[in-house]
Amino acid sequence: MNIIVCVKQIPDPETPASSFRVDEAAKKVVPAQGIPPVVNPYDPQATEAALRLKEAAGGGKVTVISLGPESARDAIKHALAMGADEGILLNDPGFEGIDNFQTAVALAKAIEKVGQYDLILMGRAAADWDMGVVPMGVATLLGIPCVSIAKAIERVDGKVRVTRVLDDGFQTVEAPLPAVVSVSNEFGEPRYPQLRQIMLAAKKTVQVWNAADLGLSADQLGEANRWLKLEALYVPKVESKVEIIEADSPEEKARILAQKLRADKLI
Amino acid sequence: MVKFTAEHEIFRRTVREFVEKEINPYADEWEAAGTFPAHELFKKAAKLGLLGVEYDPAYGGGGADHWYTVILGEELGRADCGGVPMAITVQTDMATPALAKWGSHELKKQYLEPALKGEMVASIAVTEPDAGSDVASIKTFARRDGDEYVINGSKIYITNGTQADFLTLLARTSPEGGYRGMSLIIVPTDRPGFRVARKLRKLGNHSSDTAELVLEDVRVPVTNRIGEEGQGFYLQMQQFQKERLIAVYTAIGGMRRAIERTVAYLRERKAFGGPLLSMQYIQYTLAELIVEIESLRQLAYAAAEGVVAGEDVTRLATMAKFKAGRLVRRVADTCLQFHGGLGYMEEMWTARYFRDSRLLGIGGGADEVMLRVLTRTEGLEA
Ligand SMILES: Cc1cc2nc3c(=O)[nH]c(=O)nc-3n(C[C@H](O)[C@H](O)[C@H](O)COP(=O)(O)OP(=O)(O)OC[C@H]3O[C@@H](n4cnc5c(N)ncnc54)[C@H](O)[C@@H]3O)c2cc1C
Ligand SMILES: Cc1cc2nc3c(=O)[nH]c(=O)nc-3n(C[C@H](O)[C@H](O)[C@H](O)COP(=O)(O)OP(=O)(O)OC[C@H]3O[C@@H](n4cnc5c(N)ncnc54)[C@H](O)[C@@H]3O)c2cc1C
Repeated sequence: MNIIVCVKQIPDPETPASSFRVDEAAKKVVPAQGIPPVVNPYDPQATEAALRLKEAAGGGKVTVISLGPESARDAIKHALAMGADEGILLNDPGFEGIDNFQTAVALAKAIEKVGQYDLILMGRAAADWDMGVVPMGVATLLGIPCVSIAKAIERVDGKVRVTRVLDDGFQTVEAPLPAVVSVSNEFGEPRYPQLRQIMLAAKKTVQVWNAADLGLSADQLGEANRWLKLEALYVPKVESKVEIIEADSPEEKARILAQKLRADKLI
Repeated sequence: MVKFTAEHEIFRRTVREFVEKEINPYADEWEAAGTFPAHELFKKAAKLGLLGVEYDPAYGGGGADHWYTVILGEELGRADCGGVPMAITVQTDMATPALAKWGSHELKKQYLEPALKGEMVASIAVTEPDAGSDVASIKTFARRDGDEYVINGSKIYITNGTQADFLTLLARTSPEGGYRGMSLIIVPTDRPGFRVARKLRKLGNHSSDTAELVLEDVRVPVTNRIGEEGQGFYLQMQQFQKERLIAVYTAIGGMRRAIERTVAYLRERKAFGGPLLSMQYIQYTLAELIVEIESLRQLAYAAAEGVVAGEDVTRLATMAKFKAGRLVRRVADTCLQFHGGLGYMEEMWTARYFRDSRLLGIGGGADEVMLRVLTRTEGLEA
């Protein structure tokens, strides 16, 4: 079974709020000094799912693709160290500042270039912008089904059976292959890379493809050609005000509190 | 400056997660029990390749470079207790280096491979009731009888001693005194005549079991000897280098975490109109400790570079062990102090860290023994 996993490198979500900064004028997040970026937390789950499916199928290949700067190679290496077979880094100056749709276009092109695939797995969302639309975009561009937010994935008679996470329960659906499936944290703990696999990963090569390799033209690249325009980026100001309710009895205090809450439409 | 590769950093995360998931949740329980389930934990560690980082893959090792050992130590040192990291590093870097380097193929198949798989727990048995710092005065004797050694003696303060499946034992194999006439011998603990005399109660490192062991006419094949007969002292002196280095790496990881946690606490704790961290005295004291820790780390990395280059690192390893033994006490004391009354409470990590920190200046060669070595390496003998 040939599986492609898309992984993303993001700023460490555990970064303490004190070292997190937003440049409101430039509409950019200023990377925290000295805190290295990490693999998007959902993506190792997608890699884990790929490895389990490959193991269950008794063979195949897991190819990892990441679009990002040179440092995104580390996100690929993490997947290789978990046991994935090959890595491809999509790296081009034209990828800087692109949006989810442009990313989906580039990923879809790369997946077509890889050619052989039965299944494409991604994390349910990237924990930096938390949009979760790239899986749908890629599936649409490739003209194949997309199943989102999976907690379990099984291959049954040439189809994929996916248990999806809903707000209040689960839903099991089937889709023909190839398909795109986005994997949620409910899938379970990803394996930690073993030393032996890490040593093997060091020997695996990571191919680098640029925009030209993917056949992307200038009008598909760069911040200028975003579909989605970022209007403003700011950290919301949270203000807290304390008001002590004075009254003669607890009942009276409770009555005043209830009135205030109702006035503010909180109850 | 040392630059770790992406692979090194992935390994660091693996060890950190192992510590956070497999050690820390049980640290309180194991500290209270005075021991930990070595066989169970070592098997989990082995699965991730943590027990044989640099050893030959032919025996189940990882074949990795020494920087992975540096990382292993630093990350184990971040555990919530000192005992378990010590027990693990006894297995990886104190009881097995000589076996891996000078043991016969058969001996390695029989003992090293299961140790790296976590199926066997190992102890290093050097210290005796009447011989600690002065290793040359050990008395345990292995008398040759045909194809066997018949061993008599006792060993004390032996880490993993109540759970060990085999000991890497230093014993005399000929009556001449001093440095000569000693050999390193693998002694399986299921032999008649071997017994755990008692499990020792300690000031700290409670989660690690420490034992006094007695050997009465314990018979082992002569082929259980590591290297040449009579070379034991020299082999053990080299094995001590590994022991000292891993102890230093572990201490560095522990100290860095202790400072991080103390800073986080002082940032929140308010007194005299602001966070305690805003006090200049506190800032300067911590800054100075950070300088000391970083200096030690760079010294340790210089030693590690020497190991990678295949050099004799006795000088730097000894300096680092000495420095670490002293510094860890200062760091633990200061962190406890800056937590005030809370720092003295058993519920706070500082109390355990304070206790555990006292060992490094004694175990693996006391501070004064390091100074003794340094008088030689630095040409201070009159
Ligand atoms: C928790 C724990 C675990 C241990 N684990 C092991 C183990 O697994 N295997 C093992 O073999 N041993 C182990 N040991 C023993 C340890 O290596 C010895 O305790 C240590 O080497 C010191 O020896 P000693 O206790 O006999 O002290 P001594 O040799 O009696 O020395 C006592 C003190 O005298 C001072 N001193 C010694 N020599 C000199 C000198 N030349 N000049 C000036 N001052 C000096 C030092 O301050 C030293 O602390 C462990 C010890 C502890 C506490
Ligand atoms: C076993 C025990 C028994 C006790 N018994 C009693 C009792 O019977 N009754 C009672 O009332 N209290 C008691 N205490 C409390 C004790 O008096 C306080 O713990 C002590 O005064 C320190 O206060 P704190 O713990 O709030 O530390 P904090 O005030 O939080 O201070 C923490 C640390 O910050 C540092 N620090 C504080 N101020 C400064 C400064 N201005 N500049 C630089 N550094 C500073 C110090 O290192 C200090 O240790 C007891 C404490 C213990 C541990």
